Amino acid sequence: MEAKPSTANLVDKIVVPGDVVLDLSSMTNQTIKLGGGLRQECDSVSVIKAGKLRFSKPNKYWVESSQKRYVPCVEDTVLGIVVDCKADNFFVDIRGPTIAFLPVLAFEGGTRRNIPKFEIGSLLYVRVVKANPGMNPELSCTDASGKAAEFGLLKDGYMFETSTGLSRMLLSSPTCPVLEELGKQLSFEIAVGLNGRVWVNAESPSTVVLVSNAIMNSESLSAVQQKIMVDKLLQRIK
Amino acid sequence: MEVDRADGRNPNQLRPLACSCSILHRAHGSASWSQGDTKVLAAVYGPKAGTKKNENPEKASIEVIWKPRTGQIGKPEKEYEIILKRTLQSICILTINPNTTTSVIIQVVHDDGALLPCAINAACAALVDAGIPMKHLAVAICCCSAESGYCILDPTKLEEQKMKGFAYLVFPNSILSVLPEGSSLVQGEPMEHGIITSVTHGAMSGNLSTLRVSVSHL
Repeated sequence: MEAKPSTANLVDKIVVPGDVVLDLSSMTNQTIKLGGGLRQECDSVSVIKAGKLRFSKPNKYWVESSQKRYVPCVEDTVLGIVVDCKADNFFVDIRGPTIAFLPVLAFEGGTRRNIPKFEIGSLLYVRVVKANPGMNPELSCTDASGKAAEFGLLKDGYMFETSTGLSRMLLSSPTCPVLEELGKQLSFEIAVGLNGRVWVNAESPSTVVLVSNAIMNSESLSAVQQKIMVDKLLQRIK
Repeated sequence: MEVDRADGRNPNQLRPLACSCSILHRAHGSASWSQGDTKVLAAVYGPKAGTKKNENPEKASIEVIWKPRTGQIGKPEKEYEIILKRTLQSICILTINPNTTTSVIIQVVHDDGALLPCAINAACAALVDAGIPMKHLAVAICCCSAESGYCILDPTKLEEQKMKGFAYLVFPNSILSVLPEGSSLVQGEPMEHGIITSVTHGAMSGNLSTLRVSVSHL
């Protein structure tokens, strides 16, 4: 085993918990923003989750990894399932460590008189407003300016769960290859939550099943492989 | 000194390792770890809200369930659960998700010596797969000593039964670091300091120096 150079740069490499990635004593007078997966210990920044270390200018570092469990962050759009209704809040499960609260008034034009009634088990498209460690996250069905903006109840359709990495890939821009290929031939409606839940709706059940299977298969495929996979699936139903 | 091992290994040589992750569909993290013929499957569920009554709600708690290959759960299984729980508590960062429980379930698939170190390695890999925040990884090894004073690493079940005593040792992993003194090199090989857990069985006097030398070659 050789000695590593002291200026080894670990950006875009796979790191495991315990690796030290930044030495802060040599970086004075800079503001560095740390994202998920990194923790500051005195003068160094070390990794707490395994994944690929990413850096975006000017000063953001984070570890990119794909898990089946979601860590709530502010301004994320997620799909939640209502588990209980109380006087002030709906209890919504967003696949994180704790149950999230959705205030009863957090809807466009919401007052005490027109509180929506959600049955237990209904699927909602919501936005995370507060995500402090140790506290239950808070959600909202409006965007930052108070408009409804597609948030709210999702009726019909089919929901399935995937990893957080796949849902980030589906939401990336330019459009993910598998969604682009499916969109050329089929018409369907889709809602992707950053917590790994995907909801698909279409006129016929066979379209829904096809779209769901195509998305679930595309996790570890490259762009070209995704196009080939979608072509094969579509040929089967013709 | 020359040692004859049944499968022709050197005293310091480990059995072939194999590890695969994300093998269970429903578990949030899973790993299968095999050293030679000993194979253990670990599954991690969580973190889930709520802790048990006698756990500290200001920290995350870890619950371990050990399932033997055959037979009912008895005292040895409970002992393994406690050792595994203490080890995992010292490598996970418990202050990040307070008042939650992470369940680790260990299933023994085949036991051919060095079972507990294999289970610790499998549990650590499963926790990494589930994305539970950890300070560093845990590396576990079994070394045992015989009457004539030599010690060997990673024994099979037959070798374990013939030995005078054996010890399971768990270390933090050697890390990549950008600090100049981060990875300390001793005789050209990376060394780590500190032991997380050690379990000893039998009588092992006077062998500690040979034990230290042989373990530093891992």
